[in-house]
Amino acid sequence: MVYITSWDEFVERSVQLFRTDPQSSRYVMKYRHCDGKLILKVTDNRECLKFKTDQAQDAKKMEKLNNIFFTLMARGPDADITEVSGKEQAETQPSKKGRGRRQ
Amino acid sequence: MVLLQPDPFLNELTNMYERTQDKGSVWVTLKRSSLKAKATRKKLESQGADVEYRCLVRATDGKKTISTSLSSKDHQRFQASYATVLRAHMNALKKRERKDKKKIAEGDKKQGGHLNKPSSKPSV
Repeated sequence: MVYITSWDEFVERSVQLFRTDPQSSRYVMKYRHCDGKLILKVTDNRECLKFKTDQAQDAKKMEKLNNIFFTLMARGPDADITEVSGKEQAETQPSKKGRGRRQ
Repeated sequence: MVLLQPDPFLNELTNMYERTQDKGSVWVTLKRSSLKAKATRKKLESQGADVEYRCLVRATDGKKTISTSLSSKDHQRFQASYATVLRAHMNALKKRERKDKKKIAEGDKKQGGHLNKPSSKPSV
């Protein structure tokens, strides 16, 4: 089991892992309030990536990752997750809602 | 294993977090599943029909397990409520105060900083 130190690397590799095998990949989260520890695991039963932390700021990042995984799982591995306003911003679409004056 | 609707699942999950405040862990697993046997799934795929995938969420405290299954329509609403539950309960994690150099300077004046890093700058 590999513990990844960098959050961004964990996210990138876990999304990649999920996309290669959406059928058998799963995302596990373990939280212990008494120890103040949070551990995340993404595995496809062949390879395993883990991330552990005790920092509150990582809980916020984990929420964003949760959103990413929900989107991927519900809509399919090819789902566009750029709308999750997060990690992958390959194609930033210009906002169509114009606040300013448009003529 | 108890299969629930998304809303009761969230209620039970909240209870679980509250029960494990002093001792124990909460595991939450997220997995994509079509909830059909492999044979049925392959048949559907070979027929060209769309296999409907759902998101399976399981939670356990080591003793009791609860689960729910979300469709792509449910997941947006669930994700918002789920995030609220997490945020409300995950407050045992440490908060970082490293980047606040101003705070350290102020803390030196007050001499009350118990979270001071050993490498903090000495006050001028």
